[in-house]
Amino acid sequence: MEDVVVEVRNLQKTFKRADGTLVKAVDDVSISVRSGECIVLLGPSGCGKTTLLRSIAGLEKPEDGEILLHGERMFSGKKKLEVAPQDRALSMIFQSYALWPHMTAFENVAFPLRSRKLPRAEVGERVKKTLEMVGVGELAGQHPSDMSGGQQQRVALARALVAGDDLVLLDEPLSNVDAKVRDQLRRELVEMQREINFSAIYVTHDQIEAMELADRIAVMELGKIVQLGPPKEIYERPSTRYVANFIGTVNELSGTVKGISAGGLMTVATELGDLEVPTAEGTTTGSEVAITFRPERCSISSHQVEGSLSWKGTVNTSSFFGSHTEHHIKMTESISFLVWQAESTQLSHNDEVWVTIDLANLRTLPIESDEVSDASH
Amino acid sequence: MTELDLDEVGESMAPGRLGSSSPVSKISPFHAFSLLVGVGTAFLILYPFSRVLIRLFWVDGSFNIEPFRNVIELPNLGQLMFNTFALVIAGGSLALVAGFVLAWLNERTDARVGALTDILPLLPFIMPVIAAAAGWVIIGAPRAGYFNYYIREVLQLVGIHMKEGPFDIFTWYGLIFVYALYLIPYPYLLVSAGLRNLDPSLEEQARVCGAGLWRTLWRVTLPNVWPSIAGSALIVATIGFAMISVPILIGTGAEIEVISTRIVRLLNFTYPPRTAEAVGLSVVVLVVLVGIWRLQARLIRGGRFATIGGRAARGRRIELGKWRWIARSLTFGYVFFALIAPLYGLLITTLNGFWSPKTRWSQLTLDHFRTVLWFDQKTRDSLFNSVYLGLVGATIGMIIAATISTYVQRSTGKTSTIIDGIAKLPAAVSGLILAVGFILAFAGPPFGLQGTMLILLLAFIATHMPSGSIAADGAASQVGHSLLEAAYVSGASESRTFRKISIPLMLPGLVAGWSLLFVRYAGDFQASAILSSTSNQTAGKKIVEIYEMGSYAYLAALAMGLTAITGLIIGVVFALTRKRAAISVA
Repeated sequence: MEDVVVEVRNLQKTFKRADGTLVKAVDDVSISVRSGECIVLLGPSGCGKTTLLRSIAGLEKPEDGEILLHGERMFSGKKKLEVAPQDRALSMIFQSYALWPHMTAFENVAFPLRSRKLPRAEVGERVKKTLEMVGVGELAGQHPSDMSGGQQQRVALARALVAGDDLVLLDEPLSNVDAKVRDQLRRELVEMQREINFSAIYVTHDQIEAMELADRIAVMELGKIVQLGPPKEIYERPSTRYVANFIGTVNELSGTVKGISAGGLMTVATELGDLEVPTAEGTTTGSEVAITFRPERCSISSHQVEGSLSWKGTVNTSSFFGSHTEHHIKMTESISFLVWQAESTQLSHNDEVWVTIDLANLRTLPIESDEVSDASH
Repeated sequence: MTELDLDEVGESMAPGRLGSSSPVSKISPFHAFSLLVGVGTAFLILYPFSRVLIRLFWVDGSFNIEPFRNVIELPNLGQLMFNTFALVIAGGSLALVAGFVLAWLNERTDARVGALTDILPLLPFIMPVIAAAAGWVIIGAPRAGYFNYYIREVLQLVGIHMKEGPFDIFTWYGLIFVYALYLIPYPYLLVSAGLRNLDPSLEEQARVCGAGLWRTLWRVTLPNVWPSIAGSALIVATIGFAMISVPILIGTGAEIEVISTRIVRLLNFTYPPRTAEAVGLSVVVLVVLVGIWRLQARLIRGGRFATIGGRAARGRRIELGKWRWIARSLTFGYVFFALIAPLYGLLITTLNGFWSPKTRWSQLTLDHFRTVLWFDQKTRDSLFNSVYLGLVGATIGMIIAATISTYVQRSTGKTSTIIDGIAKLPAAVSGLILAVGFILAFAGPPFGLQGTMLILLLAFIATHMPSGSIAADGAASQVGHSLLEAAYVSGASESRTFRKISIPLMLPGLVAGWSLLFVRYAGDFQASAILSSTSNQTAGKKIVEIYEMGSYAYLAALAMGLTAITGLIIGVVFALTRKRAAISVA
């Protein structure tokens, strides 16, 4: 059994909207974070990821459930227990950095140590060391207003690391810096996390960020964690259409299950004919399903390919993106697929081509009855 | 009776407190402190206020509508009402229009002169209105008024000879003019803020669509700053109904009596005080104010108003061309009439030793200053009392306001909302009524605070709580939530966060609020008109007494001394805090 740093059990947090309706921001969420692990909470705005993070920090008060840090109860709805944020021994980096404008970088970073009443000499030494570690040692005497976004971000990181807490919460810390700096900071963050080996919970709506940083990604929707797993698993084996669409781009073909045959296959009636595809969990004859596949997993050819699924379509647009070429292929009036190919062959409008996909790269996912069936791009 | 009320207020706060902090078992010391301050403030405001209401129907232990009868039977009630409404409506409208014009010119046109224009219209705030009114008596009186004398001298050169005039401050127009003069800063402040928050691209869009300057102003600018204008109207009416300084100095000379001056006379210049009638008259004011307050709420609710989203770029200023200097002269003219002219009158009279327009320039001396401000012990005491009340009161008031604002900002419970509402209540009920309430509530047993500095201090804190509270709210709202949360997560307790993060970041706003409170307290002639007597004389009260005795050199010296001290203290405070403020703002 690995060392568990954070344990969240059945957490509930409801917000009241201005019009009086209740929104379940965090709906019966359970998750645990292992020592040295980086968990990314991923989802669109309003999915509850930030609320979950803030609840762990103690900045929001959930109604029910439990939060344990290092096995110690920090919050318990049943026991009416709530430990104040200042007593939880964790660090947090805010989206806005939340650097105190009236303090220098040094004073900002020293604040957590001074709050914990460390001796003066040790404060000075540790602050200097930490500022140097994040690469802004020379900015110690400056105020945040005199720094660039990237520098402020580094100071915020130093402030989070200086106290040596082994849990750091990060609330979209990179969303305020420009793209180039963001990439660099992200790489450094990964390195630093591996090196110092702190556990991290990282909130973002950016799937690329999630893929790079996460040991495990928790995809959230409407206050619930819909899938939790390593990035590769989330990408290749999404458990719902929502997850498939949120992480990366996906082609969808909707249909109805006609019959389930032996050997883990079933027949699905679609607009492109009956297809034999792998079974999906919880589907029976008559279920609405979406057959999904990634654009980079299919290929384009001028003729039908035997042994794989192959459909004929006409080229709508073909755009060169540098790293790949994206073809937008029209299959029928209502269905079109995206195909990404590494080679930069440009196709012309209305060219007739075949789109081919290997059966192993298909994933069949149930369509929830309340979902709008927008199964095409 | 008194004990009973105390308990009621105390208990009504308690359930809210428990409700707002349900799952937490313990309340932090800072939370408890905030709550204590909040409940204490609520008591200080609600208790006197409720005593006024109770006194209306309840006289000496039995139900009685005598106060109403007394009011109705007051001689000249109709005239009194007419005068009051005429003054508030005419003077208030004048102040609104002037405030709007000044704000628009300084925010939207090239008439502004750097940061100077932001400060200019606020300068008159430094001068206590009671001192300014005294100054206007001295420059505007028909015969000896300096202005009239100078104008007559000039007219003589072109062969026109007059014995007095041409202007007379002791008339309706004189009263309305001076009254409006000291209300202008309020609409100016609010409308400026409104214009600053209104995205200039809305107006630019109107111009691009072919609307001219006036059409844009009329169809786009004005409708969108309507909330600021409605808010200004409310403030002008509230302050206007309760303003005593100008009516008592200028209105008395013009034989125009208004409700506020009658209340003061009934309570403080009549023996024995006729409390019943005074209370009845206060309620007339209260009813009118509640009416205006509801009207304003409806006006604002009904409309759709654009506001700024995020940090918008400054729009290009309208170029006024040759009108530019005329526009500028309006701003400078305002400062001249509101500040420089009355100050000049006070200064010359003081240095001269007596009130005469024929200044003997060679014989000006500071002796009279010394005589009045130092050798006359009663005057000296009154001045000392006012400055002391200003320093101590503004500090306590601002600490309370900052605590409540921080508490309200952090807390989501009902208690904080209620406390915040009560802190703002005096703005709607007028300081006059609260001062009457303080007599009923604290003057007699068990408190027995009649004639003490403490009752003045408490009354000042209560009546001016809204100004302090609004300033502190503004300051608190500029301290982003995450800055405080970052401190908690860094292991700082709530009180450490308040001391190390909230207070330093709020400092510029708090200093501004403190200055405002200091001038209000030091130059007060509202609460002190009713609560101050020989044992706790304030400078404002003393000015009116000297005026009634007719010694104008004394009057000028005291008013000048009061203005000089407030100006000096405000100047020092700003100089000391400017450096730190600059860091925080950046």
